[in-house]
Amino acid sequence: MEYALQVSQLQKSYGQKTALHGISFQVRTGTCFGLLGPNGAGKSTTMKILAGILAPDSGSVHVFGIDAVQRAGDVRKVIGYVPQNITLYEKLSAYDNLIFFGEMYGLQGATLKQRISEVLEQVGLQDRARDALSTFSGGMMRRVNMAAALLHRPKLIILDEPTVGIDPQSRNHIFEMIRQLNQEGVTILYSTHYMEEVEVMCEDVAIIDHGSVIANGSLHELLAQYGTQSVYVETDGAAAPDLASVPGTSAPHGSGWKIETDDVLRTMRSVSDACLQSHCAVARLEVVRPSLETVFLNLTGTSLRDA
Amino acid sequence: MIKSIARKEIRLLLKEKGTFFWLLVLPILFIVLFASVFGSAGSSTIKVQYLDMDHTAASKELLQSIERIDGFELKTDSTLSLEKQIASIRDGKLSALLVLPQGFEANLQSGTGPAEVTLYRDETANSSVAPIQAVLHNIAGSYRDANIAQALASSGMNEAKLKQVLTPPIHVAEKTENVIPFDMISQVVPGYTVMFVFFVIISMTRRFISDKDTGMTARLSSTPMRPLSYLIGMWIPYLLVVVFQCAVLLSFGHFVYGLELGDMLSVIIIILALAFCVTGLGLALSVFAKSENQGIAFTQLIAMGGAVIGGLWFPTEMMPKFMQTIGHFTPQYWAQQGLKSVILHGAHLQDIWLNVLILLAFAVVALLIAMLQFPRFMRQAAH
Repeated sequence: MEYALQVSQLQKSYGQKTALHGISFQVRTGTCFGLLGPNGAGKSTTMKILAGILAPDSGSVHVFGIDAVQRAGDVRKVIGYVPQNITLYEKLSAYDNLIFFGEMYGLQGATLKQRISEVLEQVGLQDRARDALSTFSGGMMRRVNMAAALLHRPKLIILDEPTVGIDPQSRNHIFEMIRQLNQEGVTILYSTHYMEEVEVMCEDVAIIDHGSVIANGSLHELLAQYGTQSVYVETDGAAAPDLASVPGTSAPHGSGWKIETDDVLRTMRSVSDACLQSHCAVARLEVVRPSLETVFLNLTGTSLRDA
Repeated sequence: MIKSIARKEIRLLLKEKGTFFWLLVLPILFIVLFASVFGSAGSSTIKVQYLDMDHTAASKELLQSIERIDGFELKTDSTLSLEKQIASIRDGKLSALLVLPQGFEANLQSGTGPAEVTLYRDETANSSVAPIQAVLHNIAGSYRDANIAQALASSGMNEAKLKQVLTPPIHVAEKTENVIPFDMISQVVPGYTVMFVFFVIISMTRRFISDKDTGMTARLSSTPMRPLSYLIGMWIPYLLVVVFQCAVLLSFGHFVYGLELGDMLSVIIIILALAFCVTGLGLALSVFAKSENQGIAFTQLIAMGGAVIGGLWFPTEMMPKFMQTIGHFTPQYWAQQGLKSVILHGAHLQDIWLNVLILLAFAVVALLIAMLQFPRFMRQAAH
């Protein structure tokens, strides 16, 4: 199997504080890989090491088989790094920013202008190219932030929380761009603390917490291994169903109840029976897919949102 | 890559209106202000307020003899009484009043005693009254000499002998040695040019700290850019800014105040050396300072402290000896002395090479510090 990225026993400390405790994972070429974890888990430190910004204390990183520490210069040419913060010059126009970043990646002249035109089309901002970034919304700036990392046609794009604090339209635009790039064969490493984004975008996932990878594999494997299936029922509120006889663990959830179970069909039938006997008008009765939230909860004992 | 970084930096500088205010508008305002305050100091006229109560030929002749002296101008206000004018001195509105009382001519011609004139004065205004006192004593002396000459002539002394007797035994010869007459413009224009050049360090520090804090430096580290390219690319625009700033300010002095710049090649070489020195210090401070405020504080210390002891505000000769000695350790001193040598004394390259060498030595030391501190700056930027 061909790997775009192989991370092995990566360790990093800031003074007395250890940020990474020997993390390892691999990213298959051409996939979208999610690095999921709460804030402060070590995601950004990992991303910065992979992007060649920080040097690890120990461990190794290979990008398309190239040692990223020994041959950092070669690796930088094939990586596009999109940092968590919007890192652009707001007083300059989108075009001037892209000119600058393009030149930093060694592009020049007609090639650079052509690529700027293409990435501006990709991010949907051709008509605002000459406007100062200070006049852009946060979402638009995030799109330019991403465009700056695409100019040199990287084979691996490292996205560090690219959707923090943006409007739904820009978020969808970014998702669409990532899907398109992925379809074109670009490998994506996507770091986020939004599990829904990983569930929607990524094929493979590593869950990181307190500087360690606590789970790693394909999304389906992780959900199957650590996720819990459940049934959700919601009534019109006039009467509560008696769920004591329903197999599984039930607990109030949202406006109704969630029953965790290994046998979804049997549980749904039991819930239906309980509702009929209690004369409850059912508003919703549905299977809840296992989520990364439950995976994280089962692995750490805490909710990802609370971690 | 260096060219790209430099071009981007120039674009950012052009968008930053405040930079132009600090580097061009403010120094021009200072030059105009201080040139108007000090520029006319040498030709200022002392106004002597008088009240002639005698209205005779003798009183008029005395007043005319004062008016004939360069730098003195007579004025009177006949609408105000003597009491009111004396009251003006008490109120601080007037520093001195010369009164020629009635009977002045009669007393002078009688020869029985001195003809009195009275100088009413503000006791606290010694510096402004002293020249008037000196002039009056001088005039009184010339009247006495005239009396002596008249007495000696009537006793039979010939004119040659008379001239010999009345000639003072000591003659103070006064010769000006400046190639070009000194004026405060020659101090103010280069002084404030050199002073405000140092404020470019604030812009440099601000840009480096901003890149570090926003994560720009870290992001650029993920590109094929070499760290040294970043340092040089960020440095070059400010070298150009300093050269441009000096050119504008010295041109302003030349075209507005008629300041003769002298040997242009020497001026250009001093400016280039100064640009390397200032931007070298700017680089060192930019990679050393932990925050923008720290950078501004250090810049103020270097710019203002160096301006005072380096002789940018007033000639070093006017300062205490120990201050003059300390001043030799500031780049401002060597830049200002070099420029003044060329502007005031018509110096050429062979006369200012030491100034240039010392400025370049400051630049080399500062750049070495910047190079040594730069890896630390990059490490901080990465976190």
